[in-house]
Amino acid sequence: MTDTLSTSVAYELKPEALHDAYRMMRTIRAFEERVHEEFATGDIPGFVHLYAGEEASAVGVCSHLDNRDTIASTHRGHGHCIAKGVDVKAMMAEIYGKSTGSCHGKGGSMHIADLSKGMLGANGIVGGGPPLICGTALAAKQKGTGGVGVAFFGDGASNQGTTLESLNLAAVWNLPAVFVAENNGYAEATSSTWSVASDNIADRAAGFGMPGVIVDGFDFFAAYEAAGEAITRAREGGGPTLIEMKFTRYFGHFEGDQQTYRADEVARARETLDCLLRFRGRVTETGQLSLEELDRIDAEVAELIDEAVDEAKRAPKPRAADLTTDVYVAY
Amino acid sequence: MGDTVVGIVANPLSGRDIRRLVATASVFPTAEKANMVQRMLTAFGVVGVDRVLVGTDLGGISAAVLRAIGTRPPRDPPWPEVEFLDQDPITQTAADTVNAVRRMAEAGARVVVCLGGDGTVRAAAAACGDTPLLPLSTGTNNAFPQLREATVAGLAAGLVAVGAVDIAAVTRRAPVLRVDGAGRSELALVDVCTSVNRYVGARALWDPAALTELYCTFAEPDGIGLSSVPGVLCPSPRDEPSGVALMLCPPAEATWVVAAPIAPGLVVPVGVRSWRRLEPGEVVEVATPRGVVAVDGEREIEFSGAPAPRVTLRPDGPRCVDVRAVLAGPARNRLIQEVER
Repeated sequence: MTDTLSTSVAYELKPEALHDAYRMMRTIRAFEERVHEEFATGDIPGFVHLYAGEEASAVGVCSHLDNRDTIASTHRGHGHCIAKGVDVKAMMAEIYGKSTGSCHGKGGSMHIADLSKGMLGANGIVGGGPPLICGTALAAKQKGTGGVGVAFFGDGASNQGTTLESLNLAAVWNLPAVFVAENNGYAEATSSTWSVASDNIADRAAGFGMPGVIVDGFDFFAAYEAAGEAITRAREGGGPTLIEMKFTRYFGHFEGDQQTYRADEVARARETLDCLLRFRGRVTETGQLSLEELDRIDAEVAELIDEAVDEAKRAPKPRAADLTTDVYVAY
Repeated sequence: MGDTVVGIVANPLSGRDIRRLVATASVFPTAEKANMVQRMLTAFGVVGVDRVLVGTDLGGISAAVLRAIGTRPPRDPPWPEVEFLDQDPITQTAADTVNAVRRMAEAGARVVVCLGGDGTVRAAAAACGDTPLLPLSTGTNNAFPQLREATVAGLAAGLVAVGAVDIAAVTRRAPVLRVDGAGRSELALVDVCTSVNRYVGARALWDPAALTELYCTFAEPDGIGLSSVPGVLCPSPRDEPSGVALMLCPPAEATWVVAAPIAPGLVVPVGVRSWRRLEPGEVVEVATPRGVVAVDGEREIEFSGAPAPRVTLRPDGPRCVDVRAVLAGPARNRLIQEVER
């Protein structure tokens, strides 16, 4: 007989934890909706890819992580950064290319990183994150830190050799790693039902001898429980897991994407499946939180985002003399 | 040409939940589900089914069947005409099963084959009405659907469809448990269980400490899933109209502690305070003050406060095909041709 499994009752969240999870998801949503508006004004340089709609994944996973743990993100990385604790104002300044940004304004949206928080960076290379996580997970295992590495990647990256090689490596080395496939249905404009041969990304786990599970990515509680089990398993030496979160992104692949490849699924998702909407409904029905509390969090988050944008706009740009600092290669 | 119609609905998501992670449950790949549909089409072709209605999905099952139809070598035995039910928008929820089965029943399907786990059959049962159902296991717990070779199941379903058997003799109405609570109504084919979990979360139940009450339509000693608890302690055969009700508790306070396989790979001690027979038509009010009601092992309804959810054992569940009874009866002769020399 066994009692080694974590119990589902262990995932019962106290009101304070529910506050934190909601605040985190709301912060990501408000951040992304504001970037959507500001990008249209032309003030933000470069490309941005927005995470709105997918918040339950980043928050459900990162709620179980601490500073021992590392995450690797994607080009759609703002949500992962926020959920892993990267400073929101520094992120906004980074997106504006200002010297007060997380990477002193030299990285921009797709390269926000904060190693002090275990956030290895957003990543412009599709499928670039999983190999990095094999590295940090191996380091954690060798050093015995108890740390876990989590690679977030999309349905497009699920077809990349780097991702498949990393799944294999993590399995043969029994690494403390969790692979989170965020399947939002489209790799840029290509439908995953057309391009992913097994259709369910989670099915591929069986080929690497690791558990693969599918989670309703719009449901914070489902994501939280599945991630908790996978992270505990990894931390205790049980090896890697592949979790597939299924959901829809609310904005285009990038800002400016005309989205001629998809129909009205976003409106339906926003109205009926939305992670924040469902979270509000459920925690108030169980009486754990009140609508007033949730609305107060919304107001506080809105204020934070206003300040972040104002400060980012006023902040100085990097100086020409700083061009060759903060880079890996010396010139 | 006649128009003997059979329906096949296959759930692309069955066998994918968190039990792969917490209980090393089996993986049932999409490709195998599509292969099962194809093996059934071959069997249907042999016994003379004219038309097969196949549900559509985004998981790749219907796409693989469509591809197979287009690439089949002409020398292979003929399949019936296949019609894909693509009228309803695909939601990737249980509604897809419900919509497909409802359309099959309306289109005059003589039998509907359902590929999935307990949860999938539950969805099909809510929509099939009087149309016989043949549930085949491709899910996790599979206390209700049978684990059978699809070719053989296809022969049996086909023989039912072409009228080779007396339907009353080879089908049986399964009892169901109906749960009404928190403004919702759900059917369970095997078990209803209350848990002190507040949220539906990852749906499956795998922690016995959270369980409080268990109601089963039947409980067999060789069963898997929550019904294995009474299956071991106080069995209640599948073909009897009565069921069984148990009050669960922590092992320290229990009258009996049962080592039960509550999920594949998970044999855990479950504390039972008391048990009794559950009679057909009996309505029981759930005693747990707040929590979640799980149907057939999946957390489904979150409830708190009055009115408490009610559980009713009803005799009028789906009419299910007994594969062995079909093939053991006179219909078997349809597969025999006496050769004159």
